[in-house]
Amino acid sequence: MARQSPDNGRLIAVEGMRGHDLREATADVWGRLAARKVRGGISAWDASGIFSELRVEKRRDLALSPRTLVLLYAADLVFRLRWQIRPALDQGHVVIAAPYVQTAVAFGAAGGLSRSWLTKLFAFAPQPDACYRIKERGKASRRKGKRLDGYVEFCVAMLADCAISVGPSDLRRKTVTYLAELEGTGRCPRLTKRAISSLPA
Amino acid sequence: MVRAREKRRGLLVAFEGPGGAGTSTQRRLFKVWLEQQGHEVVTCKWNSPRAIRGLMKARAGIHSLSAEELCLLQAADFRHRLETQILPALWQGKSVVADRFLFTSLAHASARGLDLEWLLSAHAPLFWPDLVFYFSVSPTTSTTRVASAHAPKFYDAGQDVTNIADPIASYRRFVGRMIKEYESLSFIFQFVTVDGEQPIYEQHRRMRRLFEERQRQPWARQNMEAVVEWLAWSPAAAEVRRGASIPG
Repeated sequence: MARQSPDNGRLIAVEGMRGHDLREATADVWGRLAARKVRGGISAWDASGIFSELRVEKRRDLALSPRTLVLLYAADLVFRLRWQIRPALDQGHVVIAAPYVQTAVAFGAAGGLSRSWLTKLFAFAPQPDACYRIKERGKASRRKGKRLDGYVEFCVAMLADCAISVGPSDLRRKTVTYLAELEGTGRCPRLTKRAISSLPA
Repeated sequence: MVRAREKRRGLLVAFEGPGGAGTSTQRRLFKVWLEQQGHEVVTCKWNSPRAIRGLMKARAGIHSLSAEELCLLQAADFRHRLETQILPALWQGKSVVADRFLFTSLAHASARGLDLEWLLSAHAPLFWPDLVFYFSVSPTTSTTRVASAHAPKFYDAGQDVTNIADPIASYRRFVGRMIKEYESLSFIFQFVTVDGEQPIYEQHRRMRRLFEERQRQPWARQNMEAVVEWLAWSPAAAEVRRGASIPG
């Protein structure tokens, strides 16, 4: 889908599996941009509070499938676009969306959902001006940090009791493999210091 | 495994229609009749799973949902209901009567101006009922019946679209759009239309006859896809796979 925002705003997607890594990296990027007097901000997952509420509600019988979790992510992203991302872009600001679409697509693909369905579902989201990937530190299949730190971690924790066909470590590994493949195509290069310095001022 | 179980599965009958069309009354009558015919019957209602309904209720209460958010939450709710209520029952050989199924969500979202193709993909893989009864009523009848019970809620009245402060006046305008969308869906997906303005027992008799005349069909490809996905992921599926047998 074509960008629906004015040319002066810039949307930068930062994708990655671990919430803690994403938060650290985007804070670093934003610090550097802010030092260059760039205006804007960060849009993180669960701005709508959907997942926090589910976490509070978390009960034994609350078992959501990968498809349901992706649909809820899409609902949260609609909220972020409506209240955070589009208004900032309209004012010509820079928005770092971390995560944006590809992290959810990677998780969905790891959960066995078809890529064409995932692409169609997220057709409402404007293409970012740039998309970067945070490489996971250490072994990707291992859990690191809090269980519910990021979107993928939240989903893996939710599915831990019910994943019959794919276990938690496999889900993490497959998600990272998808993001690495995306990096390989050049559509979502690694976020490096050089990449940060080339971001718009 | 799915093919083998398919022959012994229960039947899914959906009741669709705008507010005041009589779906709940007919669903109750139909359920009693089905039970008398020897079916074990489970009822499921729109927005029934607690977890996602809670998310929607909180946001709908403060009127903060956009059309897309509402649709995506409804799609998540539909998927969750399918995976936790409908498929486990069908797999165990029980029949399910659904008081509004996915088509109500599609009709509401289309009436809000969302693209039907995107809506269908958000709800994919679609799960096809064995029979869909569409209760057809005029906008005037729907408004009169809804208004006689209670003032419709903000999103049910379409106040987010019409911007009319009075819920009844808003509903009157919005239901016309909804009925148009239901009729398009009925044409595309071949619902069985029941005249919701006929006497209640006449409607019920017609439904019985239509149900008895209907030949049992194997599940369509998209239904198989939904079942395979459910078997792979759902803990409810794990339980039924572990040993629950078909009643009777």
